[in-house]
Amino acid sequence: MAGRISFGLLLRLSLRSLFGHRIKVLIVGSLLAFGTFLLVFGTTLLANVERAMEASVTGSLTGHIQLLSRDAKDQLAFTGPDAASEQDLGVLHSFAEIKEAALSIPNVKAVVPMGRHVAGPLLGNELDRTLEELQAAMDGGDPATSDRLIRKLRRAIGMLQEDYRLRLDILSNTEEIEEAIADLKTAAADEFWSDFLQDPRPVFDFLDTRIAKLGETATNVFIPFIGTDLDAFTESFESFRMVEGEMVPKGHRGFLFNKTFYEENFKNRIARGIDKIEEARRLDGKTLAEDPALQQSVKQLARFTSYITRELDPDDAQALDASLRRLLPEAEGDLDQKLAAFLELDDENFDQRRAFFYEEIAPKIRLYAVRVGDTFTLRSSTRAGYPKAINLKIYGTFEFKGLERSALASVYCLMDLMSFRDLFGLMTVEKREELDSIREEVGIDALSRAEAEDALFGGSDEEDEPAFAGLDEDSDDAIDIADRVAALTTGAPPTDAAADETFDPDQLDDGTVIHAAVVLEDPTRLDATIASLQALSAERGLGFQALPWNQVTGIVGQLITVVGAVLYITIAIIFLVALVIINNSMVMATMDRVSEIGTMRAIGASRRFVLALFLVETLVLGALASGVGAGAATGLTLFLGEVGLPASSSDFLIFLFGGPALYPSVGWTQLGVGLLAILTVSVISTLYPARIAARTAPVVAMQTKE
Amino acid sequence: MAIVEIKNVVKDYPLGKLKVRALHDVSLDIQRGEFAAIAAPSGAGKTTLLNLIGCVDTPTSGVVRIDGQSTSDLNDSGLTNLRLHKLGFIFQSFNLIAVLDLYQNVEFPLLLQGGLSRKARDARVREVIEQVGLTPQLRQRPNELSGGQRQRVAIARALVTRPAIVLADEPTANLDSTTGKNIIELMREINHREKTTFIFSTHDPMVMGRADRVVKMADGRIVDDASADAAGAA
Repeated sequence: MAGRISFGLLLRLSLRSLFGHRIKVLIVGSLLAFGTFLLVFGTTLLANVERAMEASVTGSLTGHIQLLSRDAKDQLAFTGPDAASEQDLGVLHSFAEIKEAALSIPNVKAVVPMGRHVAGPLLGNELDRTLEELQAAMDGGDPATSDRLIRKLRRAIGMLQEDYRLRLDILSNTEEIEEAIADLKTAAADEFWSDFLQDPRPVFDFLDTRIAKLGETATNVFIPFIGTDLDAFTESFESFRMVEGEMVPKGHRGFLFNKTFYEENFKNRIARGIDKIEEARRLDGKTLAEDPALQQSVKQLARFTSYITRELDPDDAQALDASLRRLLPEAEGDLDQKLAAFLELDDENFDQRRAFFYEEIAPKIRLYAVRVGDTFTLRSSTRAGYPKAINLKIYGTFEFKGLERSALASVYCLMDLMSFRDLFGLMTVEKREELDSIREEVGIDALSRAEAEDALFGGSDEEDEPAFAGLDEDSDDAIDIADRVAALTTGAPPTDAAADETFDPDQLDDGTVIHAAVVLEDPTRLDATIASLQALSAERGLGFQALPWNQVTGIVGQLITVVGAVLYITIAIIFLVALVIINNSMVMATMDRVSEIGTMRAIGASRRFVLALFLVETLVLGALASGVGAGAATGLTLFLGEVGLPASSSDFLIFLFGGPALYPSVGWTQLGVGLLAILTVSVISTLYPARIAARTAPVVAMQTKE
Repeated sequence: MAIVEIKNVVKDYPLGKLKVRALHDVSLDIQRGEFAAIAAPSGAGKTTLLNLIGCVDTPTSGVVRIDGQSTSDLNDSGLTNLRLHKLGFIFQSFNLIAVLDLYQNVEFPLLLQGGLSRKARDARVREVIEQVGLTPQLRQRPNELSGGQRQRVAIARALVTRPAIVLADEPTANLDSTTGKNIIELMREINHREKTTFIFSTHDPMVMGRADRVVKMADGRIVDDASADAAGAA
């Protein structure tokens, strides 16, 4: 039967024909191979990045799912501009119930309460600290230390005097500066200090009120943090690792710094600068001779010598001057100039100078503005916008394994949940009791916002601000009123909770939280678990919504979507071009082969045979080319899986790659999809020319003349 | 019954808005085993007639029957089938498939037909190649063969399916006279031995001289239908 087509014959004819048209095969084949390569490698890489980023995000910030109030007005975002702006996320009122419900789903491993907020540390400057130390030394009867600190103070005052004289030439608000210079002149005079040991009070008062403020303002940084059940957090987020200090003990209030954030914002600027150069040289293989960014940092270091000199007492200054003279005999000028010369770093002297810095200079200065073990004051505003401050002990620093160098994974520090609730103005059992007692004291049964305003500002005949309307006395905001009363009477943000205060760990679950991270046993069942959680929330009226990690990461999640879209659009364009080129070259080939096709038709080949011949030809070419492309993509993936694709020092890439390098693995799905897509494209692009060929009349064979 | 029956066939071709009549009321019977030449100058309609017999074209009116089957009743697939099983073609320009070697070119129609075992097919292919005397060149490509050799391959390909009719369109036109003569001798010999019907167009008197019967055409009409001797005598 003529209708039956021998596939073997088709294949043989196709191979022969492909071999006979090598140029066409080369052009179309390369295009198809490149398309396959791009598709397979691109999607494989993307899948790997997504997986790595998922590990980064879920292991350090969000967990696999975030539970959030249904009443949230804003989109929860951990990174990007949304995270930086204030988000109205509502509250989850009964965390204990939500946790219990979520844990009843088998795939849920842990539920960690969370709340994100920002606070600024209240840090004195170097003068404040020296004054504090001097006070302590005098109180403790330590004349040697006192003497050293007095000389340090007087040296600092001398430096400030010079500084302000320079400012007089540059700045316009001369009145203020002249006043400052006058004060500094007073403080620098010998007679100012002559009665100090007998009567230190006036000196302290003058220095405290008039001089200390003239010193360099301390680090003005805002610390983003997550208030959480610290034990649950560290257990659930497997990449969490303590670096210095100790974990906050169970039932204690406390603060943990993210190591990178701490280094970046609280370390002496020169020390940090040297650290970063060292890191870039060691980890990224950069050199000072070649890298312009590093050269720029070196230039900047020399401008910041005051970060060292202003911290020194006269003895240390002298000692440092002497050791610098030994190290750099040719350096001239004062200590600042010698330090500037010392900080002219190059590849040859870097290691030696770094060692010198840490041996000779670091012990003489305060390396960190706050230290592990210190208690510091964090100032913030509550949910309703009132100032609030708490004292917290810094127990240590932590990092997320693999993401040490990623600033994105180092955005958040950690605070115990109780302190967070205080700062954010959330009601806890103890706060409610405290509020009740305040109410009793001031003799108001039900203290409402409006009444408080009235009490403070003497009635409000005009329209009340609508923002305050409708708040009942039991709302979480009510606590702010008490705080605000305190704030207005003392003039300082209310501070409560002594640094070492303990609490009953049960209170962690009892109170209100903003959102909660859900960590899964099997992350591949994310969607099903989200559905179960949503159903549970609706069924029990728990009022939360469950969001997958990639919806709450903010800008990072969006970027990965954009990268994916760009990749797919590029591939689509390449495919479109391939489609047109294959179509074109096949039409041309058909024209070239009209006589051959006509002959086949004349001697008995059916239209179906010709159609099949063209399709098989393209399929064979498509299979060969996409095999080459997919093979190259797989080879490259395997190679990168061995050696790793370095994230270099790009912070964003480190986060995307889940570490300093990405070790991609071959994705069978991507491979299959890639091969299938390329074969589909080749077949589609051959349909038209194949139809033309099949329509060739056998009579053309008769017309062929050589 | 004649293997080819042509009754009152008219064939028109469109030429722009005009119609050109290539055949005017042509009738012709060719008997089984005949070795017939259709002789005419260019443009007289011999290729059109051959196309109609070869089932690559159908008449505008009139009837063409191949082995009793009217070609006007068949669709493309029916015509294809008829060509595959009843006809063998020898073209003026040989029309071998360039990407296949000699053996594969000859084997091709058998593969299209299907049905034979590999062994039977191989035996048949080798047999016809032997007949045309090309066994030593079995694996050569068309472009490695001379014109005469190529036409022998074409003959082998036309014969391999044991067709009832072999059509040859000016089979010697592209060959030198000695080679052309050899090719005609080969066709003649096969005609004698296998009783295969040969119909070929030509305007070469030497070829006409070898034919049993010469059908002469002019202006789309048959003007003379006589034995070759008679034609030669005329």
